[in-house]
Amino acid sequence: MSGGNGKSDGGAPPDHGDWRDGDRPRDPLDAVPDALDPPAWAGESPHDAIFTSPELWGGEAEVRDNAYGPPIPSRFPDIESVAGEVRELERRVRARLTPVFPLEVRRNPPLRSILRRYRQFAMRDRSAVVDEMGRDPVYASRFEPALDFLYRRYFRTRCQGVEHVPMAGRAILVANHSGALPYDALMLMRAVEREHPAHRQVRPLLEDEVFHFPYLGTFLNRLGGVRACPENAEKLLEEEQLVAVFPEGIQGIGKLYRERYRLQRFGRGGFVKLALRTGSPIIPVAVVGAEEATPMLAKITWLARLLGLPHLPVTPLFPLLGPAGLLPLPSKWLVRFGEPIDLGAQAGAGDAEDRLLVARLADSVRTKVQDMIGDLLSQRGSSAFT
Amino acid sequence: MVAITGACTYLGTELIKLLEVDQRYQRVLALDIRRPDLPADLIKTEHHTVDLTVPTVGSQLAALLRGVDTVIHGAFLSFPTHAASWAHELEDVGTMHVLDACAQAAPARLMLLSTTMVYGASAGNPNWLSETAPLRGLPGSRYVTDKVRAEVQVARHAEEHPETAVAVLRFAPLLGPTVTNYVTRFFSRPLVPVLMGHDPLLQFVHESDAVQALKRAVDRDVSGAFNIVGNGVLPYSTVLALMGRVPVPMPHFVARRLYRALWATQIAATPPTFLDFLRYLCVADGSRAERLLGFRPRYDVQRAIQDFAGLTPEDEPDIARAQG
Repeated sequence: MSGGNGKSDGGAPPDHGDWRDGDRPRDPLDAVPDALDPPAWAGESPHDAIFTSPELWGGEAEVRDNAYGPPIPSRFPDIESVAGEVRELERRVRARLTPVFPLEVRRNPPLRSILRRYRQFAMRDRSAVVDEMGRDPVYASRFEPALDFLYRRYFRTRCQGVEHVPMAGRAILVANHSGALPYDALMLMRAVEREHPAHRQVRPLLEDEVFHFPYLGTFLNRLGGVRACPENAEKLLEEEQLVAVFPEGIQGIGKLYRERYRLQRFGRGGFVKLALRTGSPIIPVAVVGAEEATPMLAKITWLARLLGLPHLPVTPLFPLLGPAGLLPLPSKWLVRFGEPIDLGAQAGAGDAEDRLLVARLADSVRTKVQDMIGDLLSQRGSSAFT
Repeated sequence: MVAITGACTYLGTELIKLLEVDQRYQRVLALDIRRPDLPADLIKTEHHTVDLTVPTVGSQLAALLRGVDTVIHGAFLSFPTHAASWAHELEDVGTMHVLDACAQAAPARLMLLSTTMVYGASAGNPNWLSETAPLRGLPGSRYVTDKVRAEVQVARHAEEHPETAVAVLRFAPLLGPTVTNYVTRFFSRPLVPVLMGHDPLLQFVHESDAVQALKRAVDRDVSGAFNIVGNGVLPYSTVLALMGRVPVPMPHFVARRLYRALWATQIAATPPTFLDFLRYLCVADGSRAERLLGFRPRYDVQRAIQDFAGLTPEDEPDIARAQG
């Protein structure tokens, strides 16, 4: 092979990229002069036609299939068929790993009777239909006896002024929040559902720390709780439902026993804006007894931060008795509903952006709730448990 | 004349079947990398091979879209893939090509087929997300991020080209007897992960409802975003119970690691970021579509689940009996 020829052709390396499209790669040996090529000087004389015309020269011999006997099978499999087999294998593995059964297979699953039994078992205490905020009526009715027991026998709850809750139509119940666990939300729901002549359902708005708490948030959601945000509250009120808000939020259930029944700040008055925008009356509610049911003696801040909890309470029973320590003590409970406050008389929907007005209205509601708590405490007397 | 990119997707193919029998439409351009699975005797529909990942597709699209009144851009993947850069080329850059071609051809209407996943599943979501909710997406998920970026591009296009009415249809996860997507793959397994203590509400739209909604949106001259969702929601655990799938509870940090490993080894078809949908709410409010499109879903979430799982009416009394 002459060096000059190899170099001049080496500028364009053989391109194997488009093999599969049927284009054979150019053979690099084509560039090397061989016996089949006309010599370099061909064409100088008229007699040189013998080199340039294939008829005279003969050209390349045609080799027919099987001219030399049957083809010898190669020891190496054809690269294309190997690639095809690998692709097929990969497809099968993938199909097995991510099965999407066609409908006929899904209609007749193997062990169909077992599947039916399992579905029965799995659906035993849940409803196939939940309301749009996630309340499951079957699940809620399963827990009704236990909550009734807590309400009537355990806490011996006395309910006052339930007639202030309207028979129909939207309203916002504004209550104090206390105790290490949100038992007060559950008891407020029970109070209206049992004592009110229309047996209305209350939808408590839960702060994020409670709503996203594992198990607790889900449990309260199935019973009717809703994540506290303006969109949810407005949707519920527009459907003429009763909404309970705890403006103290996580500060309310995070306060220590020695600060009991001292109302914390009422947030940024979101409930007032809500009432102004939707034109709903505000019903102040005082709940007394929750502080003694789960009295928070201390908080373990560092451990709570480690576990990602809002706070880790130390009550007389928790964490001493483990999870059983989260059960409440049998304190005596009082729930009082105050007279509805119609903000529409004092301000219009456009005033929801007036921060000073909102703060003033929120403060007046806060004072009202605090006064009612004071009344109830003096009514209850010296012992919290009788 | 209607042009559909992503004609091989479920919605694209079904829409072509409906347009074919509708007198109001003369021609339908089916654009995809392969021929959609359609009967051979269609007279209005013509297929053109268009690969949105090819850099020169812009001029091809511009030539094809000349004289088209309605462009429906639906060339999106229905399940996350490991070929993330290819998916990015197809969904994000491909949307750019389509929009550039639309800017030249100036069709009267442009429609984007998106999903409600663009809202993302986060702790701050209200129970019902309206169309004005921010498109948070899923941090760390390229599948969702590409769709959010496509939406952002389309929104910008709508601002710059007021002569084109731009509508965005955000579909809840499609469920039904025939459709195949990441949801049907996830629920096809007998064992399904559950994040301990978390049980968010899930939302689906029945596949035939989704097609009807799409057809309505094509028929009507509407613009803006629409959530296309089915009736009702169900907790994740109830969905599993109705389908007869066995939940495997695990803490979410375990599930995240497990799914990271399963995804990396290509055993699971669900990336770990999707576990957020099993933890937080991502439910969209379809009232705007009902108001402006007149779309009212015929099937509720229970029916979608029944149809997907292939349950027959004789399976239903069992549940009623189980609840007493």
